[in-house]
Amino acid sequence: MLLVALCLVLTGAMRLDAQAPGDVAVVVHPDVPIDNLTLADLRRLLLGDREFWPASVRITLLIRAPIAHERDVVLKNVCQMTEAQFRQHWIAKVFRAETALAPKIAYSSEMAADLVNRIPGAITFIDATQVVGRGLKVVKIDGQLPGQRGYPLH
Amino acid sequence: MTASGAGHFVRTAFVFAACFVSSSRATAQPNTAGASPAGQDAHAAPSAQADQATQPEYPSLHLSGFADVNFAAQDKSEGPRGFSEGQFVLHLAAALSPRVNFFGELSLTPRTDAGTGSPAATGFNAEVERVIIRFDHSDRLKVSFGRYHTPINWWNTAFHHGQWLQTTASRPEMIQFGGRFLPVHFVGALAEGAFYAGGWNLNYQAGIGNGRGNVISRAGDAGDNNARPAVVLNLFTKPDSVFGLQVGGSVYIDRVSVTGRPEVDERIVAAHAIWQREDPELIAEIADVRHEPVGGTGTTSNLAYYVQAAYRLPSVGHLWKPYYRFEHVKVDAADPVFVGVPNLDGSTAGVRFDISTYAAIKSEVRARRRVTDQARTNGWFVQICFTF
Repeated sequence: MLLVALCLVLTGAMRLDAQAPGDVAVVVHPDVPIDNLTLADLRRLLLGDREFWPASVRITLLIRAPIAHERDVVLKNVCQMTEAQFRQHWIAKVFRAETALAPKIAYSSEMAADLVNRIPGAITFIDATQVVGRGLKVVKIDGQLPGQRGYPLH
Repeated sequence: MTASGAGHFVRTAFVFAACFVSSSRATAQPNTAGASPAGQDAHAAPSAQADQATQPEYPSLHLSGFADVNFAAQDKSEGPRGFSEGQFVLHLAAALSPRVNFFGELSLTPRTDAGTGSPAATGFNAEVERVIIRFDHSDRLKVSFGRYHTPINWWNTAFHHGQWLQTTASRPEMIQFGGRFLPVHFVGALAEGAFYAGGWNLNYQAGIGNGRGNVISRAGDAGDNNARPAVVLNLFTKPDSVFGLQVGGSVYIDRVSVTGRPEVDERIVAAHAIWQREDPELIAEIADVRHEPVGGTGTTSNLAYYVQAAYRLPSVGHLWKPYYRFEHVKVDAADPVFVGVPNLDGSTAGVRFDISTYAAIKSEVRARRRVTDQARTNGWFVQICFTF
Protein backbone atom coordinates (compact mmCIF):
# COMPACT_ATOMS: atom_id res chain seq x y z
CA MET A 1 0.00 0.00 0.00
CA LEU A 2 2.76 2.31 1.03
CA LEU A 3 4.70 1.38 -2.08
CA VAL A 4 1.69 2.19 -4.30
CA ALA A 5 1.23 5.56 -2.60
CA LEU A 6 4.90 6.32 -3.06
CA CYS A 7 4.69 5.41 -6.75
CA LEU A 8 1.64 7.66 -7.19
CA VAL A 9 3.42 10.57 -5.54
CA LEU A 10 6.54 10.08 -7.66
CA THR A 11 4.50 9.76 -10.84
CA GLY A 12 2.58 12.90 -10.03
CA ALA A 13 5.77 14.80 -9.30
CA MET A 14 7.37 13.69 -12.57
CA ARG A 15 4.31 14.69 -14.55
CA LEU A 16 4.30 18.13 -12.91
CA ASP A 17 7.96 18.52 -13.72
CA ALA A 18 7.56 17.49 -17.33
CA GLN A 19 4.47 19.48 -18.28
CA ALA A 20 4.58 22.28 -15.77
CA PRO A 21 1.10 23.59 -16.52
CA GLY A 22 0.85 27.32 -15.96
CA ASP A 23 4.51 28.12 -16.48
CA VAL A 24 5.10 31.27 -18.48
CA ALA A 25 8.02 31.30 -20.89
CA VAL A 26 10.09 34.42 -21.48
CA VAL A 27 10.60 34.70 -25.24
CA VAL A 28 12.90 37.10 -27.08
CA HIS A 29 13.64 37.98 -30.69
CA PRO A 30 16.10 35.43 -32.12
CA ASP A 31 18.83 38.07 -32.49
CA VAL A 32 18.78 39.15 -28.85
CA PRO A 33 22.18 38.11 -27.46
CA ILE A 34 20.79 36.83 -24.17
CA ASP A 35 20.22 33.26 -23.00
CA ASN A 36 19.63 33.85 -19.31
CA LEU A 37 18.13 36.61 -17.20
CA THR A 38 17.91 36.91 -13.46
CA LEU A 39 14.54 37.65 -11.92
CA ALA A 40 15.90 41.08 -10.96
CA ASP A 41 16.94 41.70 -14.60
CA LEU A 42 13.45 40.77 -15.71
CA ARG A 43 11.90 43.11 -13.15
CA ARG A 44 14.07 46.04 -14.30
CA LEU A 45 13.08 45.30 -17.84
CA LEU A 46 9.36 45.03 -17.11
CA LEU A 47 9.38 48.25 -15.13
CA GLY A 48 11.29 50.12 -17.81
CA ASP A 49 14.43 50.65 -15.73
CA ARG A 50 16.39 48.80 -18.39
CA GLU A 51 15.76 49.86 -21.99
CA PHE A 52 18.64 48.32 -23.91
CA TRP A 53 20.07 44.89 -24.57
CA PRO A 54 23.84 44.51 -24.87
CA ALA A 55 25.13 46.20 -28.05
CA SER A 56 22.61 48.98 -27.40
CA VAL A 57 19.65 47.28 -29.08
CA ARG A 58 16.50 48.89 -27.70
CA ILE A 59 14.17 46.58 -25.83
CA THR A 60 10.58 46.40 -27.02
CA LEU A 61 8.33 45.06 -24.32
CA LEU A 62 5.31 43.10 -25.51
CA ILE A 63 2.89 42.13 -22.82
CA ARG A 64 -0.46 40.41 -22.92
CA ALA A 65 -3.63 42.38 -22.31
CA PRO A 66 -5.16 42.46 -18.82
CA ILE A 67 -6.82 39.28 -17.56
CA ALA A 68 -4.45 37.06 -19.57
CA HIS A 69 -2.76 34.43 -17.44
CA GLU A 70 0.70 35.45 -18.64
CA ARG A 71 0.17 39.05 -17.54
CA ASP A 72 -1.13 38.02 -14.13
CA VAL A 73 1.87 35.77 -13.52
CA VAL A 74 4.38 38.40 -14.58
CA LEU A 75 2.81 41.20 -12.56
CA LYS A 76 2.46 39.09 -9.45
CA ASN A 77 5.70 37.12 -9.49
CA VAL A 78 8.09 39.57 -11.10
CA CYS A 79 6.79 43.10 -10.56
CA GLN A 80 5.02 42.30 -7.27
CA MET A 81 2.30 44.70 -8.32
CA THR A 82 -1.42 44.72 -8.89
CA GLU A 83 -2.81 45.62 -12.30
CA ALA A 84 -3.63 49.13 -11.07
CA GLN A 85 -0.14 49.62 -9.64
CA PHE A 86 1.46 48.43 -12.87
CA ARG A 87 -0.62 50.86 -14.93
CA GLN A 88 0.16 53.73 -12.59
CA HIS A 89 3.84 52.83 -12.70
CA TRP A 90 3.93 53.11 -16.48
CA ILE A 91 1.86 56.29 -16.62
CA ALA A 92 4.34 57.83 -14.18
CA LYS A 93 7.29 56.43 -16.11
CA VAL A 94 6.23 58.11 -19.33
CA PHE A 95 5.18 61.29 -17.51
CA ARG A 96 8.60 61.50 -15.84
CA ALA A 97 10.13 61.46 -19.31
CA GLU A 98 12.07 58.33 -18.44
CA THR A 99 10.78 56.63 -21.55
CA ALA A 100 8.58 57.50 -24.50
CA LEU A 101 7.72 53.88 -25.18
CA ALA A 102 5.26 52.13 -22.93
CA PRO A 103 4.76 48.36 -23.22
CA LYS A 104 2.87 47.20 -26.26
CA ILE A 105 -0.15 45.00 -25.95
CA ALA A 106 -0.38 41.53 -27.46
CA TYR A 107 -3.95 40.29 -27.58
CA SER A 108 -3.15 36.60 -27.98
CA SER A 109 -0.28 34.16 -27.71
CA GLU A 110 -0.22 33.95 -31.49
CA MET A 111 0.13 37.70 -31.80
CA ALA A 112 2.85 37.78 -29.15
CA ALA A 113 4.77 34.98 -30.87
CA ASP A 114 4.42 36.66 -34.25
CA LEU A 115 5.55 40.08 -33.04
CA VAL A 116 8.44 38.87 -30.95
CA ASN A 117 9.94 37.22 -34.01
CA ARG A 118 9.38 40.28 -36.20
CA ILE A 119 10.47 43.13 -33.93
CA PRO A 120 14.22 43.36 -33.23
CA GLY A 121 14.91 43.55 -29.52
CA ALA A 122 11.43 42.36 -28.56
CA ILE A 123 10.64 40.34 -25.47
CA THR A 124 7.33 38.79 -24.48
CA PHE A 125 5.71 36.28 -22.18
CA ILE A 126 3.87 33.25 -23.51
CA ASP A 127 2.28 30.26 -21.80
CA ALA A 128 4.94 27.55 -21.95
CA THR A 129 2.55 25.09 -23.57
CA GLN A 130 2.09 27.52 -26.50
CA VAL A 131 5.79 27.83 -27.24
CA VAL A 132 6.47 24.36 -28.58
CA GLY A 133 6.93 24.10 -32.34
CA ARG A 134 7.01 27.83 -33.05
CA GLY A 135 10.78 28.21 -33.28
CA LEU A 136 10.83 30.78 -30.50
CA LYS A 137 13.89 31.68 -28.47
CA VAL A 138 13.10 30.98 -24.82
CA VAL A 139 15.28 32.62 -22.21
CA LYS A 140 16.22 30.96 -18.93
CA ILE A 141 15.26 32.74 -15.74
CA ASP A 142 17.82 32.33 -12.97
CA GLY A 143 19.25 29.45 -15.02
CA GLN A 144 15.98 27.56 -15.36
CA LEU A 145 13.60 26.92 -18.20
CA PRO A 146 9.82 26.45 -17.94
CA GLY A 147 9.00 23.05 -16.56
CA GLN A 148 12.09 22.82 -14.41
CA ARG A 149 11.60 22.69 -10.69
CA GLY A 150 11.84 26.09 -9.08
CA TYR A 151 11.08 28.03 -12.27
CA PRO A 152 9.76 31.33 -10.90
CA LEU A 153 7.15 32.29 -13.51
CA HIS A 154 4.33 29.98 -12.55
CA MET B 1 40.98 78.66 -28.47
CA THR B 2 43.78 76.73 -26.76
CA ALA B 3 44.92 73.30 -27.89
CA SER B 4 43.29 71.65 -24.87
CA GLY B 5 40.14 73.67 -25.42
CA ALA B 6 40.04 72.63 -29.06
CA GLY B 7 40.54 69.01 -28.06
CA HIS B 8 37.71 69.23 -25.57
CA PHE B 9 35.46 70.79 -28.21
CA VAL B 10 36.28 68.03 -30.69
CA ARG B 11 35.56 65.32 -28.11
CA THR B 12 32.24 66.93 -27.19
CA ALA B 13 31.27 67.30 -30.82
CA PHE B 14 32.16 63.65 -31.41
CA VAL B 15 29.91 62.46 -28.57
CA PHE B 16 26.91 64.39 -29.90
CA ALA B 17 27.64 63.33 -33.45
CA ALA B 18 27.76 59.72 -32.27
CA CYS B 19 24.36 60.16 -30.62
CA PHE B 20 22.80 61.51 -33.82
CA VAL B 21 24.47 58.95 -36.05
CA SER B 22 23.52 56.05 -33.83
CA SER B 23 19.95 57.36 -33.72
CA SER B 24 19.67 57.30 -37.46
CA ARG B 25 21.45 54.00 -37.91
CA ALA B 26 19.66 52.08 -35.23
CA THR B 27 17.24 49.42 -36.26
CA ALA B 28 13.79 50.83 -36.70
CA GLN B 29 11.62 50.17 -33.69
CA PRO B 30 7.87 50.16 -33.48
CA ASN B 31 6.11 52.77 -31.47
CA THR B 32 2.63 52.19 -30.28
CA ALA B 33 3.11 53.83 -26.92
CA GLY B 34 -0.11 54.71 -25.38
CA ALA B 35 -2.93 56.82 -26.40
CA SER B 36 -4.63 55.55 -23.28
CA PRO B 37 -3.52 56.55 -19.81
CA ALA B 38 -1.74 53.27 -19.43
CA GLY B 39 0.38 54.15 -22.36
CA GLN B 40 -1.15 51.35 -24.31
CA ASP B 41 -3.22 51.69 -27.40
CA ALA B 42 -5.95 49.51 -26.05
CA HIS B 43 -8.56 50.75 -28.50
CA ALA B 44 -6.67 49.78 -31.64
CA ALA B 45 -7.77 46.60 -33.33
CA PRO B 46 -5.30 43.76 -32.73
CA SER B 47 -4.41 43.33 -36.39
CA ALA B 48 -4.01 47.06 -36.90
CA GLN B 49 -1.82 47.26 -33.84
CA ALA B 50 0.31 44.39 -35.05
CA ASP B 51 0.94 46.20 -38.30
CA GLN B 52 1.63 49.45 -36.47
CA ALA B 53 4.02 47.68 -34.13
CA THR B 54 6.16 46.38 -36.93
CA GLN B 55 5.93 49.46 -39.14
CA PRO B 56 7.07 52.35 -36.98
CA GLU B 57 6.34 55.87 -38.06
CA TYR B 58 8.14 58.95 -36.82
CA PRO B 59 7.38 61.29 -35.26
CA SER B 60 4.75 59.58 -33.16
CA LEU B 61 3.01 61.92 -30.78
CA HIS B 62 1.11 60.70 -27.76
CA LEU B 63 -0.90 62.97 -25.58
CA SER B 64 -2.02 62.45 -22.02
CA GLY B 65 -3.05 64.75 -19.25
CA PHE B 66 -3.88 65.40 -15.63
CA ALA B 67 -6.42 67.65 -13.99
CA ASP B 68 -7.85 68.25 -10.55
CA VAL B 69 -10.65 70.09 -8.80
CA ASN B 70 -10.20 71.23 -5.22
CA PHE B 71 -12.19 72.33 -2.22
CA ALA B 72 -10.69 74.12 0.78
CA ALA B 73 -12.08 75.24 4.11
CA GLN B 74 -9.60 77.13 6.30
CA ASP B 75 -9.81 79.12 9.50
CA LYS B 76 -7.14 81.48 8.14
CA SER B 77 -6.53 81.91 4.46
CA GLU B 78 -3.46 80.24 2.98
CA GLY B 79 -4.45 79.89 -0.64
CA PRO B 80 -7.92 79.54 -2.15
CA ARG B 81 -11.10 78.89 -0.18
CA GLY B 82 -14.14 77.03 -1.43
CA PHE B 83 -13.98 75.27 -4.77
CA SER B 84 -11.11 75.94 -7.11
CA GLU B 85 -9.81 74.55 -10.33
CA GLY B 86 -6.44 72.95 -10.08
CA GLN B 87 -3.97 72.76 -12.89
CA PHE B 88 -4.95 71.41 -16.27
CA VAL B 89 -1.84 69.63 -17.47
CA LEU B 90 -1.06 68.22 -20.88
CA HIS B 91 1.82 65.85 -21.40
CA LEU B 92 3.29 65.14 -24.79
CA ALA B 93 5.69 62.33 -25.58
CA ALA B 94 6.99 61.71 -29.05
CA ALA B 95 9.57 59.35 -30.45
CA LEU B 96 11.37 61.23 -33.21
CA SER B 97 13.53 58.25 -34.10
CA PRO B 98 14.47 55.03 -32.35
CA ARG B 99 16.86 56.89 -30.07
CA VAL B 100 15.56 60.43 -30.00
CA ASN B 101 12.56 61.33 -27.86
CA PHE B 102 10.71 64.52 -27.08
CA PHE B 103 8.79 65.24 -23.91
CA GLY B 104 6.70 68.28 -23.10
CA GLU B 105 4.50 69.34 -20.23
CA LEU B 106 2.11 72.28 -20.47
CA SER B 107 0.01 73.62 -17.64
CA LEU B 108 -2.97 75.95 -17.44
CA THR B 109 -3.43 77.45 -14.00
CA PRO B 110 -6.38 79.64 -12.95
CA ARG B 111 -5.38 83.20 -12.07
CA THR B 112 -6.68 85.07 -9.06
CA ASP B 113 -6.25 88.37 -10.93
CA ALA B 114 -8.26 87.28 -13.97
CA GLY B 115 -9.97 90.19 -15.68
CA THR B 116 -8.04 92.87 -13.83
CA GLY B 117 -5.37 95.21 -15.18
CA SER B 118 -4.97 96.64 -18.63
CA PRO B 119 -5.01 94.67 -20.77
CA ALA B 120 -7.17 92.43 -18.63
CA ALA B 121 -5.41 89.37 -17.26
CA THR B 122 -6.53 86.12 -18.80
CA GLY B 123 -8.41 83.53 -16.81
CA PHE B 124 -5.61 81.01 -16.95
CA ASN B 125 -1.87 81.24 -16.90
CA ALA B 126 -0.22 79.06 -19.55
CA GLU B 127 3.20 77.70 -18.72
CA VAL B 128 5.66 75.45 -20.51
CA GLU B 129 6.67 73.35 -17.53
CA ARG B 130 9.02 70.98 -19.31
CA VAL B 131 10.43 70.72 -22.81
CA ILE B 132 13.02 68.01 -23.22
CA ILE B 133 14.68 66.46 -26.22
CA ARG B 134 16.72 63.41 -25.31
CA PHE B 135 19.21 61.23 -27.14
CA ASP B 136 19.41 57.71 -25.77
CA HIS B 137 22.80 56.17 -26.39
CA SER B 138 22.34 53.33 -23.92
CA ASP B 139 21.07 52.72 -20.41
CA ARG B 140 24.34 54.19 -19.20
CA LEU B 141 24.16 57.43 -21.15
CA LYS B 142 21.22 59.58 -22.15
CA VAL B 143 21.83 63.20 -23.02
CA SER B 144 19.06 65.76 -23.06
CA PHE B 145 18.50 69.48 -23.42
CA GLY B 146 15.61 71.67 -22.37
CA ARG B 147 13.59 72.79 -19.38
CA TYR B 148 13.34 70.31 -16.53
CA HIS B 149 12.09 69.93 -13.04
CA THR B 150 15.36 70.19 -11.16
CA PRO B 151 16.63 66.79 -10.02
CA ILE B 152 17.54 68.19 -6.62
CA ASN B 153 14.46 66.77 -4.99
CA TRP B 154 12.81 63.39 -5.44
CA TRP B 155 9.20 64.63 -5.28
CA ASN B 156 9.93 67.26 -7.91
CA THR B 157 10.96 64.66 -10.47
CA ALA B 158 8.63 61.85 -9.45
CA PHE B 159 5.24 63.55 -9.68
CA HIS B 160 5.77 66.78 -11.63
CA HIS B 161 2.34 68.38 -12.11
CA GLY B 162 0.41 65.12 -12.02
CA GLN B 163 -1.63 65.44 -8.84
CA TRP B 164 -3.14 62.03 -9.44
CA LEU B 165 0.29 60.42 -9.23
CA GLN B 166 1.00 61.63 -5.71
CA THR B 167 -0.73 60.13 -2.71
CA THR B 168 -1.49 63.45 -1.01
CA ALA B 169 -3.44 66.43 -2.30
CA SER B 170 -0.62 68.87 -1.57
CA ARG B 171 3.08 68.91 -2.31
CA PRO B 172 5.58 69.37 0.51
CA GLU B 173 6.16 73.08 1.06
CA MET B 174 9.90 72.82 0.41
CA ILE B 175 9.16 72.00 -3.24
CA GLN B 176 5.89 73.86 -3.70
CA PHE B 177 5.25 75.20 -7.21
CA GLY B 178 6.04 78.88 -7.15
CA GLY B 179 7.99 78.37 -3.96
CA ARG B 180 11.46 79.75 -3.45
CA PHE B 181 13.17 77.30 -1.12
CA LEU B 182 14.35 74.95 -3.87
CA PRO B 183 14.73 75.79 -7.56
CA VAL B 184 11.81 73.88 -9.07
CA HIS B 185 12.88 74.38 -12.69
CA PHE B 186 16.17 74.11 -14.48
CA VAL B 187 17.00 75.12 -18.06
CA GLY B 188 20.05 73.52 -19.61
CA ALA B 189 21.52 70.12 -20.42
CA LEU B 190 21.40 66.87 -18.52
CA ALA B 191 23.33 63.63 -18.79
CA GLU B 192 21.85 60.64 -17.03
CA GLY B 193 22.20 56.91 -16.87
CA ALA B 194 22.27 53.79 -14.76
CA PHE B 195 24.90 51.18 -13.95
CA TYR B 196 24.05 47.69 -12.78
CA ALA B 197 26.91 47.69 -10.24
CA GLY B 198 26.34 44.20 -8.91
CA GLY B 199 22.66 44.73 -8.28
CA TRP B 200 22.99 48.17 -6.67
CA ASN B 201 21.63 49.90 -9.80
CA LEU B 202 23.50 53.15 -9.42
CA ASN B 203 21.83 56.03 -11.23
CA TYR B 204 23.24 59.44 -11.97
CA GLN B 205 21.95 62.75 -13.32
CA ALA B 206 24.45 65.51 -14.01
CA GLY B 207 23.29 68.84 -15.36
CA ILE B 208 24.48 72.29 -16.24
CA GLY B 209 22.14 75.20 -16.85
CA ASN B 210 20.90 78.65 -16.07
CA GLY B 211 19.77 78.19 -12.50
CA ARG B 212 17.48 80.67 -10.80
CA GLY B 213 16.28 83.73 -12.68
CA ASN B 214 15.86 87.33 -11.49
CA VAL B 215 12.75 86.14 -9.72
CA ILE B 216 14.25 83.28 -7.76
CA SER B 217 11.17 81.08 -7.95
CA ARG B 218 11.60 80.99 -11.72
CA ALA B 219 14.23 79.43 -13.93
CA GLY B 220 16.31 81.48 -16.33
CA ASP B 221 14.14 80.63 -19.33
CA ALA B 222 15.31 83.51 -21.48
CA GLY B 223 18.97 83.12 -20.55
CA ASP B 224 21.25 83.12 -17.55
CA ASN B 225 21.24 86.30 -15.53
CA ASN B 226 24.90 85.95 -14.60
CA ALA B 227 28.08 84.42 -15.94
CA ARG B 228 28.10 81.50 -13.52
CA PRO B 229 26.06 78.47 -14.67
CA ALA B 230 24.24 76.29 -12.20
CA VAL B 231 25.36 72.68 -11.86
CA VAL B 232 23.46 69.80 -10.36
CA LEU B 233 24.47 66.23 -9.57
CA ASN B 234 22.04 63.62 -8.35
CA LEU B 235 23.10 60.08 -7.42
CA PHE B 236 20.81 57.34 -6.20
CA THR B 237 20.63 53.58 -5.85
CA LYS B 238 17.74 51.17 -6.31
CA PRO B 239 19.15 47.87 -5.02
CA ASP B 240 17.79 44.64 -6.45
CA SER B 241 17.97 42.97 -3.07
CA VAL B 242 15.51 45.44 -1.51
CA PHE B 243 12.96 45.97 -4.27
CA GLY B 244 11.12 49.24 -3.75
CA LEU B 245 13.91 51.06 -1.97
CA GLN B 246 15.57 54.15 -3.42
CA VAL B 247 18.23 56.11 -1.55
CA GLY B 248 20.18 59.03 -2.89
CA GLY B 249 21.59 62.48 -2.56
CA SER B 250 22.19 65.54 -4.66
CA VAL B 251 24.18 68.73 -4.83
CA TYR B 252 23.23 71.96 -6.61
CA ILE B 253 25.56 74.93 -6.95
CA ASP B 254 24.57 78.28 -8.43
CA ARG B 255 25.13 82.01 -8.17
CA VAL B 256 21.92 83.88 -7.40
CA SER B 257 21.59 87.33 -8.96
CA VAL B 258 18.59 89.42 -7.96
CA THR B 259 18.29 92.96 -9.32
CA GLY B 260 19.27 95.53 -6.73
CA ARG B 261 20.84 93.04 -4.36
CA PRO B 262 24.38 91.69 -3.94
CA GLU B 263 25.10 88.40 -5.67
CA VAL B 264 25.00 85.31 -3.50
CA ASP B 265 26.54 81.89 -3.97
CA GLU B 266 24.06 79.11 -3.35
CA ARG B 267 24.85 75.53 -2.44
CA ILE B 268 22.11 73.01 -1.87
CA VAL B 269 22.75 69.57 -0.44
CA ALA B 270 19.81 67.20 -0.38
CA ALA B 271 19.09 63.56 0.37
CA HIS B 272 16.15 61.22 0.03
CA ALA B 273 15.09 57.75 1.10
CA ILE B 274 12.01 56.26 -0.51
CA TRP B 275 10.15 53.00 -0.01
CA GLN B 276 7.95 52.94 -3.08
CA ARG B 277 5.70 50.04 -2.29
CA GLU B 278 2.25 50.95 -1.12
CA ASP B 279 2.17 48.73 1.95
CA PRO B 280 3.65 50.92 3.29
CA GLU B 281 4.81 53.88 1.22
CA LEU B 282 7.53 55.89 2.96
CA ILE B 283 9.10 59.09 1.68
CA ALA B 284 11.70 61.16 3.50
CA GLU B 285 13.60 64.10 2.08
CA ILE B 286 15.89 66.73 3.53
CA ALA B 287 17.61 69.75 1.99
CA ASP B 288 20.05 72.29 3.31
CA VAL B 289 20.28 75.55 1.34
CA ARG B 290 23.37 77.59 2.10
CA HIS B 291 23.87 81.16 0.92
CA GLU B 292 27.10 83.11 1.00
CA PRO B 293 27.37 86.69 -0.32
CA VAL B 294 29.98 86.97 -3.08
CA GLY B 295 33.09 88.58 -1.61
CA GLY B 296 31.35 89.00 1.70
CA THR B 297 30.86 87.14 4.93
CA GLY B 298 27.94 85.80 6.81
CA THR B 299 26.96 82.39 5.48
CA THR B 300 23.38 81.45 6.22
CA SER B 301 21.90 77.98 6.30
CA ASN B 302 18.28 77.01 5.75
CA LEU B 303 16.88 73.58 6.43
CA ALA B 304 13.77 71.80 5.25
CA TYR B 305 12.61 68.24 5.51
CA TYR B 306 9.51 66.11 5.44
CA VAL B 307 8.56 62.56 6.26
CA GLN B 308 5.50 60.96 4.72
CA ALA B 309 3.96 57.58 5.41
CA ALA B 310 1.01 55.95 3.66
CA TYR B 311 -0.51 52.51 3.65
CA ARG B 312 -2.85 50.97 1.12
CA LEU B 313 -5.33 48.89 3.06
CA PRO B 314 -5.51 45.18 2.26
CA SER B 315 -8.29 43.11 0.65
CA VAL B 316 -11.68 44.87 0.54
CA GLY B 317 -10.15 48.15 1.64
CA HIS B 318 -7.58 48.25 -1.14
CA LEU B 319 -9.10 51.38 -2.68
CA TRP B 320 -8.33 53.32 0.50
CA LYS B 321 -4.92 54.71 1.36
CA PRO B 322 -4.56 56.71 4.57
CA TYR B 323 -1.50 58.93 4.93
CA TYR B 324 0.34 61.33 7.18
CA ARG B 325 3.11 63.83 6.53
CA PHE B 326 5.14 65.98 8.85
CA GLU B 327 7.17 68.80 7.35
CA HIS B 328 9.52 71.43 8.65
CA VAL B 329 11.03 74.52 7.04
CA LYS B 330 13.46 76.70 8.98
CA VAL B 331 14.75 79.84 7.27
CA ASP B 332 17.60 81.88 8.73
CA ALA B 333 16.25 85.33 9.57
CA ALA B 334 19.46 86.89 8.19
CA ASP B 335 19.31 85.06 4.85
CA PRO B 336 19.74 87.57 2.02
CA VAL B 337 17.85 85.50 -0.57
CA PHE B 338 14.92 84.03 1.35
CA VAL B 339 13.47 87.33 2.56
CA GLY B 340 9.80 86.69 3.26
CA VAL B 341 10.00 82.90 2.96
CA PRO B 342 8.01 81.62 5.95
CA ASN B 343 8.99 78.95 8.42
CA LEU B 344 6.76 75.95 8.84
CA ASP B 345 5.97 73.15 11.20
CA GLY B 346 3.10 71.33 9.62
CA SER B 347 1.16 68.11 9.69
CA THR B 348 -1.00 66.70 6.93
CA ALA B 349 -3.26 63.73 7.54
CA GLY B 350 -5.73 62.31 5.10
CA VAL B 351 -6.98 59.46 3.02
CA ARG B 352 -6.94 58.74 -0.68
CA PHE B 353 -9.76 56.78 -2.28
CA ASP B 354 -9.25 55.47 -5.79
CA ILE B 355 -12.61 55.94 -7.48
CA SER B 356 -11.38 54.13 -10.57
CA THR B 357 -8.10 53.06 -12.09
CA TYR B 358 -7.50 56.60 -13.34
CA ALA B 359 -9.27 58.83 -10.83
CA ALA B 360 -8.98 59.41 -7.11
CA ILE B 361 -10.44 61.58 -4.39
CA LYS B 362 -8.31 62.76 -1.49
CA SER B 363 -9.44 64.33 1.74
CA GLU B 364 -6.88 65.80 4.10
CA VAL B 365 -6.54 68.12 7.06
CA ARG B 366 -3.55 70.38 7.48
CA ALA B 367 -2.34 72.01 10.65
CA ARG B 368 0.41 74.58 10.09
CA ARG B 369 2.36 76.73 12.49
CA ARG B 370 4.36 79.54 10.90
CA VAL B 371 5.71 81.25 14.01
CA THR B 372 6.54 79.56 17.29
CA ASP B 373 4.02 80.27 20.04
CA GLN B 374 1.44 81.51 17.56
CA ALA B 375 -1.80 79.75 16.71
CA ARG B 376 -1.90 77.10 14.02
CA THR B 377 -3.66 77.50 10.72
CA ASN B 378 -6.07 74.63 10.27
CA GLY B 379 -7.76 73.58 7.09
CA TRP B 380 -9.69 70.81 5.43
CA PHE B 381 -8.99 70.09 1.79
CA VAL B 382 -10.58 67.79 -0.76
CA GLN B 383 -9.16 67.04 -4.18
CA ILE B 384 -10.60 65.08 -7.07
CA CYS B 385 -7.83 64.26 -9.50
CA PHE B 386 -7.51 62.13 -12.57
CA THR B 387 -5.45 61.30 -15.60
CA PHE B 388 -6.72 60.95 -19.11
